[in-house]
Amino acid sequence: MTETLTGSQILCRVLLEQGVDVLFGYPGGAIMPFYHALPEYPALRHVLVRHEQAAAHAADGYARATGRAGVCVATSGPGATNLVTGIATAHMDSTPVVAITGQVPRAMMGRDAFQETDIIGITQPITKHSVLVDDVDRLAGAVREALAIAVEGRPGPVLVDIPKDVQQAKTEWRDQHAARQPAPRPGGVPGPLADAVRLLAEAERPLIMAGHGIILSGAYEELRALAERTGIPVITTLLGISGFPESHPLHLGMPGMHGEVHVNRAIQQADLILGIGLRFDDRVTGNLAGFARHAKVIHVELDPSEVGKNVAIDVGLVGDARDILRALLDDVAPRDCKAWRAQIADFMRPRQESFREDLSPGAILGAIDRAAEGRCTIVSDVGQHQMWVAKLFPYRRPNTHLTSGGLGTMGFAVPAAMGAALARPDEPVWAISGDGGFQMNMQEIATMVQEGIPVKMAVFNNGYLGMVRQWQQFFHGRRYSATPIWSPDYVRLAEAYGIFGRRVERGDEVGDAVRAAIAHPGPALVEFLIEQEANVFPMIPPGASLSEPIEGEPTEPRLVPA
Amino acid sequence: MSGPRAVTVLIEDHLITLSRAVGLIRRRNLPVHSLAVGPTDAPGVSRLTIMLQSDDATAGRAAQHLQKIIGVRDATAIPAGDAVAREIALVKLRPPPERYAELLDVVQLYHAAVVDESADVVIVELTGSEAFVLSCIRALERFHIVEVARSGAVALESGAAELRMSTQPQLEAGAT
Repeated sequence: MTETLTGSQILCRVLLEQGVDVLFGYPGGAIMPFYHALPEYPALRHVLVRHEQAAAHAADGYARATGRAGVCVATSGPGATNLVTGIATAHMDSTPVVAITGQVPRAMMGRDAFQETDIIGITQPITKHSVLVDDVDRLAGAVREALAIAVEGRPGPVLVDIPKDVQQAKTEWRDQHAARQPAPRPGGVPGPLADAVRLLAEAERPLIMAGHGIILSGAYEELRALAERTGIPVITTLLGISGFPESHPLHLGMPGMHGEVHVNRAIQQADLILGIGLRFDDRVTGNLAGFARHAKVIHVELDPSEVGKNVAIDVGLVGDARDILRALLDDVAPRDCKAWRAQIADFMRPRQESFREDLSPGAILGAIDRAAEGRCTIVSDVGQHQMWVAKLFPYRRPNTHLTSGGLGTMGFAVPAAMGAALARPDEPVWAISGDGGFQMNMQEIATMVQEGIPVKMAVFNNGYLGMVRQWQQFFHGRRYSATPIWSPDYVRLAEAYGIFGRRVERGDEVGDAVRAAIAHPGPALVEFLIEQEANVFPMIPPGASLSEPIEGEPTEPRLVPA
Repeated sequence: MSGPRAVTVLIEDHLITLSRAVGLIRRRNLPVHSLAVGPTDAPGVSRLTIMLQSDDATAGRAAQHLQKIIGVRDATAIPAGDAVAREIALVKLRPPPERYAELLDVVQLYHAAVVDESADVVIVELTGSEAFVLSCIRALERFHIVEVARSGAVALESGAAELRMSTQPQLEAGAT
C-alpha cells in the first residue's frame, strides 16, 4: 500500500522500523516540521534535554549500554553545533550515535541564512559518515543507511542533516522494511593465527591487554576462557574495564598514566603482549620509545588502520575480537604462567593515600557496590574521580563501566547516565562526577525530573578541578591557576529541583546516604566532601615511560617536562 | 627513506567524499606534495592521486585510513620504486622575438609542444616525471616565463597490479 507522507513522517517511520525507541533532542526553527510529526508516533519517546550537548551524550550513553544506535536530534545552527562535543566523544570511543539535524531550507543554503551552519563540514573529521539529504525521496534510504553505518564494523557517529523543506516535502511512501541491514562484523580469521599461537606458547612473560573491542564484540566469555586456559594475566584499559571480572585472580588492573605500579611494571617486563581491541593510546603506553621494550606484540583489532599505528607489532590479526579469540582457543595449549604471575605479585605496592574523615573514594565506591548488591551501572566523568572509579569499583558484570576515554569529555557523566538509565531500567545507574564536570551539565537534573529518569548522581567535591590541580602541583610549581572552583549548595540545589539530596562529610555517613539515594524513587544527588588536595597515584608524568611512576607526594615541586 | 609516494584513491563523485579524503590527509598531518583528481572510465567514480612526502609505511597507513571513508571504493599506496608518476605542465612564455628559434629547439629537446601562440606570447605543454618537468621549466626560464600551471602527478603501479573496486556504489547518486 502506498500513501503520501511528509519527510518528517517518513523520518519517524524509518526510525521506528529500525527499532529506535527513544530520541534525545531539542526543537528549533529548522527541525520544527519533524517535531510537528512526532506526536503522531507515540512509540518514539522523545526526551527533551536542557542543552543539545546533553542530547548527544545521552544518545551515547544509551548506545554504550545497549550496543544499538543512540539517536539525538537538534535544530540547525547553534542546535547542531552544540552537539559537536558529544559527537566527538562518540567518535573517539567508537560508539554508534546518530545525530539528526535540521538545516535551513534548500533555497537558503549557502547564503549565511539565519541559524545556518555547515554542520556536515564542521563534523567531518569527527563523524564516521555524514549525509545532507537534499531530496525527500532519498530520506528513508539515508536514515536507514545512517543507522546501519553507525553500528556496523567499528562503530561511530553518523550525522544526517535534513533541510526544513525536505522535512515538509511530500512523497509516496511504501512500507519496505529494513532495506538496509548493518553489514555483519567481518567474519573469519586472518592468516597469521599460527604465528600468534606459537608466540603465546613460547612466551615466558605474556600479558593480555584488553580494550573496548572486548565490550563492542561481546567477547567476555572468550577472553576469560583464553586467560584461564593459558594462565596469562589480563590488563584492562580504561574502556576495557568490566570486560573481564575485576575479582578474577588473573586480573591485574588498568595500565598507563594512572595504572598501578605492578601493572605497568608487568608491561615493561613482559616478553609478549596480546593486545585485543585497543589502539595503544598514549595514555596507555606512556612514552612509546620506552614502552614494553622486551615484548613482542600480537594485535587483535577490527580496524586494520589501527594495527601498527602506535606500537610496532609482530603479528596483526584483523577481525572481530570474539571470532579471533575463539579461533585462538581452538589452538592454544593449556599452560599456567605461574612463575611469571608470582613475579608480578612481587611488584605490588600498598596504596599510599589518605583521606579526611575516612571519606575515601574506595569507601564511597564500596558502599555503592554493596547497596546495589553488585547490580548497577557506573557512568563516570573525567578527572581524578574517573581514575578512582576505574580502579576501585569492583565491576562484576560486563559493560557496567561507561566513561569518556579518548576525548576525555568533562560533563559526560550526567547526561550519558540518562541514556544508560533509559536503557537499563532495572538497575541503578550512577553518574559519578567531580564538582567541575558536574557543573558542566547539571542542568540535566531538570530533564530527569520532567522525564522521570532515576539517575543517581554522586559528586566528588574537593573544591578544585582536581586533576588539573594535581598537574599544577606536580609540574607547575603548585601554582593553582584557575583550579579552585566554587560550588552551589548541592543539597539545596536538589531541593530546588525537587529531588533527593544529601551531603556526606564523614566516612561513616556514606553507607546510609547511598542506600537512601537508591531507595528513593527518582533522581537523587549525593555530594561527598572529599579531601581537597588528594592526588591520584601512581602517575606516569606526561612524556615519561611506564617505568617512571610518581608513587607518592613529591617532595620537590617538579617543572613541566620539556 | 622519504620521498614522494603515490597514494591512489578511487572515489565516488561527491564533493563531500573528496572533502573527507582530503580532510583526512590534513587531520593526520601528512605532508602532501601534490594532489590530482580526475574522472575514470567508470561513471560516477574519480581517481584521486595524492603524492605524499613520506615513507612507504606512512603512505600505506594513509591508504588504510582512506579506505574507511564511505564512498572510497579503493585506496592503495604504491611502494617507492614501483610507481610510474607523470605530470603535465603548461608554461606561458613571452620570448624575445630574436630568441624564438632557440625556444623551439628547447621545446623539441624536451619533447614538448607549443600549443598556443598569440602576438608575443606562447604556451608550451610538457609532460613527464616531476624531475623532468622541473628541468624543462628551468631550461625555459631564459625565455621569460609569464605563468606556469602544473597538474600534480598521476601515478600507476608498474606491472600487473590494479585498483580493484566493487561496482556497487556506496553512496546514492546525487548525495552531497
